[in-house]
Amino acid sequence: MATEALSARDAARPRRRLFRRQRHREAAFVWCLLLPALAIFLLYRLIPLGWNFLLSFQFWEPTKPAEFAGLYHYEEMFVYDDVFWQALGNTFVYMAMAPISIVAALVLALLVDSRIRGRGVYRTIIFLSYPLMAVAVGVIWRWLYDGKVGLFNYILRSAGLIDAPIAFLETFATAMPAVIVAAIWQIVGFFMIILLTGLQSIPQHLYEAASIDGASRFRQFWRITLPLLRPSLFLCFVIGIIASFTSFDLIYVMTNGGPGHATELLITYIYKVAFTLTQFDYAGALTVVMFLLFLGVALLGNLLAGGEAGKVDITE
Amino acid sequence: MQKTWLVAALSAVVGATFLAPGLAPGAMAQEKKLTLLTWNLPIYEEKFRGWIADFKELHPDFEVEWLDKKGTEWATFYQTQLIAGTAPDIIDVQGMLWAEYAAADGLVDLTPYLDKEPDVRDRFNKEGMTLWQYDGRQYMLPYYFSKSLMIYNKNLFEAAGLDGPPDSLEAILEDGRKIAATDEGRSGFITLNFDWLYWPLFAMNGVELLNEDMTEAAFNTPEMLDTLTKLAEATSAGVVNNIAWTGRWVEPNNAFATGDIGMYQAHGAALFWIAGNAEWVNQDTLGVAAWPGGWGVPNAHGLGISASTKYPDEAFDFLKIATSDKWQTVMADTFTILTLNEKVDEALIAGLDDPLKAETLRLSLANMDKATGNWVTPKDAAIKEAFWPEIQAALLGQKSPQEAIDAAESKVNRALRRR
Repeated sequence: MATEALSARDAARPRRRLFRRQRHREAAFVWCLLLPALAIFLLYRLIPLGWNFLLSFQFWEPTKPAEFAGLYHYEEMFVYDDVFWQALGNTFVYMAMAPISIVAALVLALLVDSRIRGRGVYRTIIFLSYPLMAVAVGVIWRWLYDGKVGLFNYILRSAGLIDAPIAFLETFATAMPAVIVAAIWQIVGFFMIILLTGLQSIPQHLYEAASIDGASRFRQFWRITLPLLRPSLFLCFVIGIIASFTSFDLIYVMTNGGPGHATELLITYIYKVAFTLTQFDYAGALTVVMFLLFLGVALLGNLLAGGEAGKVDITE
Repeated sequence: MQKTWLVAALSAVVGATFLAPGLAPGAMAQEKKLTLLTWNLPIYEEKFRGWIADFKELHPDFEVEWLDKKGTEWATFYQTQLIAGTAPDIIDVQGMLWAEYAAADGLVDLTPYLDKEPDVRDRFNKEGMTLWQYDGRQYMLPYYFSKSLMIYNKNLFEAAGLDGPPDSLEAILEDGRKIAATDEGRSGFITLNFDWLYWPLFAMNGVELLNEDMTEAAFNTPEMLDTLTKLAEATSAGVVNNIAWTGRWVEPNNAFATGDIGMYQAHGAALFWIAGNAEWVNQDTLGVAAWPGGWGVPNAHGLGISASTKYPDEAFDFLKIATSDKWQTVMADTFTILTLNEKVDEALIAGLDDPLKAETLRLSLANMDKATGNWVTPKDAAIKEAFWPEIQAALLGQKSPQEAIDAAESKVNRALRRR
């Protein structure tokens, strides 16, 4: 009996050691798979972020040793630099692009989800703007807004609505709305696809039951469609906010932040400070503030999503 | 087991790939090499290869790499290379950007080289050379040059009953009014606005941007207010075309090329661009004159050497080849452009059979003492960025002129005081 028990323990020991080694091997395997992604994340995200943070507290020029600057750049930013405040304000205004795009995309998604002829074609046409590069979108819209040969001025003049061409991108009052329209045009197709997917995952029987109960179409939309579309709407909202923070290329091509600083966003201003004015240290401070703002918006978004946005469910 | 290690090895290789760029320069440090960075001249490649071939005859043990970047990318590229410690050895720089690098000890002082070889210094226009002097030292050699002038549409002048180009701001605006009145859609005047190219409008009225030692703004004066008010009113009335204050290069050139604008404040390169793009342009329809008072903004490119170069002597040899009579003659003939190499420029002007082009080049070299908008200060970009958006707002009717001048003054002073 005792011999049998011993031999059973002996048999189990190598299995346990093997299991342990296998777990180690699995861990090593997982880490090796993660290594490229972690290397990229470390080299192109964490180190630059840390470097930016350090830079923001230094006087730094490419050819000279750094000196400690304390809060000099932050004082400059918050107290003296009104372009920073303008760019920050513009960034928030530009964020308006997100909700407007979502509403437009929802309307389009509802239209192409209904049983209309050629809806596949409409979907494709609406989505076509999204894969275009932002630079191409910028160039297209610059021509559309052009005073002499632009389509909009042509239509407005042909309709007798204006006497002289409107310089959409060169006028302080119209430059930002004009850029926002272009940004919406680019992203609306992508949002439409996300919302369309959401719409098609709503069980049809809910609408049937609501119809039997006498609910109007509007009530069905309000009580069934919108609540069940919440995850898709939230996803669009987050993507829209990120896009508004990082929309460098479109602004750069269409207005370069002008006229004056009417369309200057934080991201374009950071670029100018770094590469036009060669003030990398000050640009570092601006970047830190932008990062913190971005972080704040992301945390707020997470909170609104119930605190579990991005959570991955690995249970089977 | 084997699979696991195969994947692990592959992952490690992929990971190491990201670290490789940092290791590579060390491995290649043995090669004797110079790098030449030019400013938006890809069409000149064949000639750059010629420079390199001549240099290699002198220094057969050297390799020369040629890079070219568009104007909008040049500074970004150079600065990132500077930070990475791999700045190109020889650089072609436009405008006052060089002063920033010179002040930060980023450029080789060429003065000792020129003292040693005075014949190289003597090649160049003396007043032209001062465009690249900072703190009494010569940092760049002239590569090519143009200066802003008055370009005018003779057809529109005739239609408005005007004899010739005006001689004051009041006359420019008055003539502009007459031209704008000749037909709907016409305007009297337009200007380039980048790199201080609009500054003659203020300089001609006695406005100074900075005080003498360039430590403070000096433009908050009644003359500035008067000039800005007149320009803003003329813009609002359509006498000055809006594009003057919103366009950069292509937009104002295109606008003038339509034939609907009377006068254009721009440099020779713009005139040649228009001549190549507008069918109506010839010496009977287009005139060129010195700007009233002789004022003009130089738009110049210089060649210099990065202080980080390992081979400054060889780099200077390269500069001598690039600015030699031989290669600057090729440059001048290829682009019909001034090089500030006196012998080459004289031959170019004398050899031109197009009187309009010859006159443009001759006028560009005249009144070198009235060159303006070329303040040699490392803060040039910061001052420009502080000044222009405020003045632009006034010109486009967004702010009152006095409000804009006050705001610009405060911002320029802040930019000057900033470390």
